[in-house]
Amino acid sequence: MATDPSRAADEALRLEVQADLDASPELSRYRLRAAVDDGVVTVVGEVETWDEVVAAGYLAAERRGVREVVNAIRAARVPPPVLEAAWPAPGPPLPGWVAQADVVVIGAGVIGAAIARELSRYRLTVVVLERSSDVACGASKANNGMVHPGIDPEPGSLKAILNVRGNALFEGVCRELDVPFTRDGFYGLTLTPEDAAILPLLKARGDVNGVPGVEVLDREELLRRVPGATPRATGAFFCPTAGMTSPYKLTLAYAENAVANGVRLFLETAVVGLDVEGGRVTGVRTNRGPIAARWVISAAGIYADRVSAMTGHQEFTIHPRRGALVIFDHQESGPAGASVGWFGLGMPKHSKGGGAMFTVDGNMEWGPDAEEVPDREDTAVTTEAVGQVVDKFSGLLPEFPRNAVIAAFAGLRAATYKEDFHIAPSRRAGGLIHVAGIQSPGLASAPAVAEMVLDLLRAEGILLIERDGWQPRRTEPPHVAGLPQGALAELVERDPAYGRIVCRCETVSEAEVRAAIRGLVPATTVDAVKRRTRAGMGRCQGGFCGPRVAAILAEELGRPTTAITKEGPGSWLFAGRTREGGLT
Amino acid sequence: MKTHERDLIVIGGGPAGLAAALAAREAGVPRVTVVERDHELGGILQQCIHDGFGNFLFRERLTGPEYAARFAGRIPEAGVETVLDAMALEVRPGPEHEVLVSGAESGLVTFRAPAVILAMGCRERTRAQLLIPGHRPAGVFTAGTVQRYVNIEGLRPGRRAVILGSGDIGLIMARRLTLEGVEVEGVYEIMPHPGGLTRNIVQCLDDYGIPLHLSTTITFIHGPKRVQGVTVARVDADRRPIPGTERHVDCDTVVISAGLIPENELSRGAGVALDPVTRGPVVDDRLETTVPGLFACGNVVHVHDLVDYVSMGGTIAGRGAAEYLAERAAGRTAAGGAGAAGEPVVAGEPGAVAEPGVVDAKREWCPVEPGENVAYVVPQRIDARRAAGRPQDRPVQFFLRVREPGRSADVTMTGRSPGGDVVLAHRRERAVRPPEMVAVKVRPDSLAPGVTAIRADVRAKGGDGDGR
Ligand SMILES: Cc1cc2nc3c(=O)[nH]c(=O)nc-3n(C[C@H](O)[C@H](O)[C@H](O)COP(=O)(O)OP(=O)(O)OC[C@H]3O[C@@H](n4cnc5c(N)ncnc54)[C@H](O)[C@@H]3O)c2cc1C
Ligand SMILES: Cc1cc2nc3c(=O)[nH]c(=O)nc-3n(C[C@H](O)[C@H](O)[C@H](O)COP(=O)(O)OP(=O)(O)OC[C@H]3O[C@@H](n4cnc5c(N)ncnc54)[C@H](O)[C@@H]3O)c2cc1C
Repeated sequence: MATDPSRAADEALRLEVQADLDASPELSRYRLRAAVDDGVVTVVGEVETWDEVVAAGYLAAERRGVREVVNAIRAARVPPPVLEAAWPAPGPPLPGWVAQADVVVIGAGVIGAAIARELSRYRLTVVVLERSSDVACGASKANNGMVHPGIDPEPGSLKAILNVRGNALFEGVCRELDVPFTRDGFYGLTLTPEDAAILPLLKARGDVNGVPGVEVLDREELLRRVPGATPRATGAFFCPTAGMTSPYKLTLAYAENAVANGVRLFLETAVVGLDVEGGRVTGVRTNRGPIAARWVISAAGIYADRVSAMTGHQEFTIHPRRGALVIFDHQESGPAGASVGWFGLGMPKHSKGGGAMFTVDGNMEWGPDAEEVPDREDTAVTTEAVGQVVDKFSGLLPEFPRNAVIAAFAGLRAATYKEDFHIAPSRRAGGLIHVAGIQSPGLASAPAVAEMVLDLLRAEGILLIERDGWQPRRTEPPHVAGLPQGALAELVERDPAYGRIVCRCETVSEAEVRAAIRGLVPATTVDAVKRRTRAGMGRCQGGFCGPRVAAILAEELGRPTTAITKEGPGSWLFAGRTREGGLT
Repeated sequence: MKTHERDLIVIGGGPAGLAAALAAREAGVPRVTVVERDHELGGILQQCIHDGFGNFLFRERLTGPEYAARFAGRIPEAGVETVLDAMALEVRPGPEHEVLVSGAESGLVTFRAPAVILAMGCRERTRAQLLIPGHRPAGVFTAGTVQRYVNIEGLRPGRRAVILGSGDIGLIMARRLTLEGVEVEGVYEIMPHPGGLTRNIVQCLDDYGIPLHLSTTITFIHGPKRVQGVTVARVDADRRPIPGTERHVDCDTVVISAGLIPENELSRGAGVALDPVTRGPVVDDRLETTVPGLFACGNVVHVHDLVDYVSMGGTIAGRGAAEYLAERAAGRTAAGGAGAAGEPVVAGEPGAVAEPGVVDAKREWCPVEPGENVAYVVPQRIDARRAAGRPQDRPVQFFLRVREPGRSADVTMTGRSPGGDVVLAHRRERAVRPPEMVAVKVRPDSLAPGVTAIRADVRAKGGDGDGR
């Protein structure tokens, strides 16, 4: 594959990277080795801590000409990941299984779902494979839901281009798919005179990226517009195009719309291998059997490098960077408005800011922080992380009741060492397209990422013929909460199950729970019902509705209640029946 | 949508609501309706199948459902209407309050009545509110939810459990789970003293050899799918984990019994002033809230330890509502009859702390304040003149909780009056502990000399009050 000139370039690059590793005060003692093939640097060796593993990866990525980094360094003091789950157990093919597809999409996060929906316009057999029990079980359920304006990314990066484009597409997508979306803008506050002085440069970057309407504000103007902001602020920038959405609702809506248009989605189905013949991918192997495919799109999030390795030549490494978020009671959150965050020269290099923002459900939300973790399933929330987040943002909003936290959770960013999105055909297996490194602003960019993937497929020679009767619209089933009284009365008239309230905190009816279980992407777990209906998201956190939801799931799915899980295999809820078997 | 006219709507068919409805009927209120979310009456008692209810009122040891049946059984003959499987979604205050109800049978209906009693009970504090770090696996339940799973649904929530918090429900579930073959490894309590009744510590833990670890908490829940264990650590005087004391405990279930919180969504929506300490409505001697005609009783007002007190409170609220309706009929309500004329009267800011002692629509309030070693007193204010005029068999019932435990404690209610301080009531308690409510009655005639403010004090001889 690699021609001689490129081999020479590889060798030149190797010498540079090796010199960097050898010169690093922190890493040189470990005698790490670099190899370069086709612009991809592979680093090997052993260090002590995980932070050193990550530092070596970044160091190897610094030189111009490094396409990506494969980081094979081990950390002596870090035990091997224990949480990283094995792929789902082998099982029989699911109903509707196909042995052959035009396109297989790996992963049903927001990215895979958006791509599938885009593909559903065309006369193709499209299959989406997701290892979890529901869509949006990875980063796409554990993020801020912010539709960034696109001012942060480096000009010219994929992140910059796709974020700005994605942001512009968002309103239309959310309208078509009936997903909540608000556009209240974002204020980035500075806290020192020096930082305020560089605000015009930031605006210039926004202009270069094509972010509409960026403003630089002085302190007085900021405090006038954001009354809760700290008086210590020295200035701010404002991006009017920043918005908020529900990340899992968007993912679900994309997936449902794709399924409505003929895409097949198989849950609890993991890709465990790729078939590559003559330099081209010919299919995927799953825990439920093989599927032959002409094109394979890897939107596997935190596991995208594992998929890459399935070709026999890993092209990059994903290193999980955890971010914790805290959510506040909506009663304490006050009226929704723009998001705020901090901006300054002292910001961390990667995963800069986060913010204080209002979810589309009206809860104030703060975070995330950023912490490199070795385990791809380690979404634990630590006291330190919560403390950091709360301290940071109460510095920006000093009057906010910081004690009204009702929940904290964490997600993992799927970062590559180059820190940009990696959206490109594999250089090792034709027909395979990597959609990797999709960390923030991945959600904001999702509509544009899908467009780009279609362009790449076209360039790869796929024949795209529009299908008749493609239906771009999807409607959200009715929810009792917040319905005007008249509409609610009508709904209950039509189906009395809308009158039976199952979740008292969020006012969710039995009919909504049943609708979620019978949906196009059926909810089969308690958490899947929660994501679709909000049952269990309120103050009692499912204490009241949990038993009821489990019973309805059991009834609808025709399984014993003891077989109902929180979030798929392994997350069992009951160890069996009691001796008496209960009163009912 | 249908609208039904009633005289009194009771929201919640637990012991508080049932006692209130019965008392109101007995006092002559014609049309009384109880709205209950569940498909049967009885409230949380239905899942409390252990005995020990009614010691006080009936001098018997009843189970929860038996106790509830004592009241629920009288409901039909008393002529109280019940709407089951129906949830009150909203209370709109006005001259005639409106309650929006959604039910499987009834559909969406509005009930309109001049008096409404809020008796929605309470809910449990959750893991999220405690902010326990770690993963978010299956197998973390609140004690009440476990109680429901085990006692009503017949489901076993796990094989090896730890219990966080030594509240009564957690203690009772420690025993219940043990009897169901679930191994209970221990109970962990962050405070230096237990949260539940001494009787429950003895009967539910000691008798089964379940250790109680005081000043210890869970610092991490291990997952990620199902609970794989917890890390526990001892805490210092400020309840911060002490580094180096961490210990791993193998378990697949975490049961959280860390307290109850009054359920006041509806009250808040109705503009009722809430007390930040009790987290329930500010009420007066007849359990009327700051919104005239809106009453509250039971765990909605503050969390009770004994159901007998809940029933007593229900009776007070039921009679109070009857008194209010009679005043109203005679054009003598707090709103000065304006209520009948059509203007909504809402006193107190929505969700805000009421200012006890303020003149509230022609009424002179006598504030009731927690004094020495008292965390809170309910009612928070009384109409002393009105209370003084009641027959002697209808004393003003006060409930209070202490901050610190103590032995042989003097509980004193002191009134301020133009002629100086007067002792309104006094009783000696063998021991006082924060989990146990103290009940004190003040006779109407003692309020006669124009009492303008009341203070509650508990002075103990010391000790930890753990009467074991
Ligand atoms: C804390 C945090 C906050 C964030 N905030 C924002 C924000 O405000 N705005 C924003 O734009 N972005 C934000 N992001 C980034 C955003 O969440 C991600 O960019 C986006 O969700 C990525 O979507 P995805 O589909 O690529 O990945 P995922 O949602 O992780 O989906 C990948 C899916 O692939 C599946 N999968 C993996 N391997 C296999 C296999 N072998 N077989 C089958 N299935 C497989 C996984 O189960 C998973 O469901 C945030 C991220 C974090 C962690
Ligand atoms: C899990 C749990 C276990 C307990 N165990 C014990 C015990 O062992 N011993 C003991 O002495 N005390 C126990 N208690 C305390 C007990 O709650 C009280 O003693 C008593 O039951 C409270 O009565 P209540 O009527 O105020 O509330 P509840 O009994 O809770 O009744 C409230 C009722 O209101 C209904 N309701 C709520 N909101 C609405 C609405 N919007 N519309 C319609 N209906 C509504 C509920 O369905 C419920 O039936 C326990 C409490 C809890 C929460």
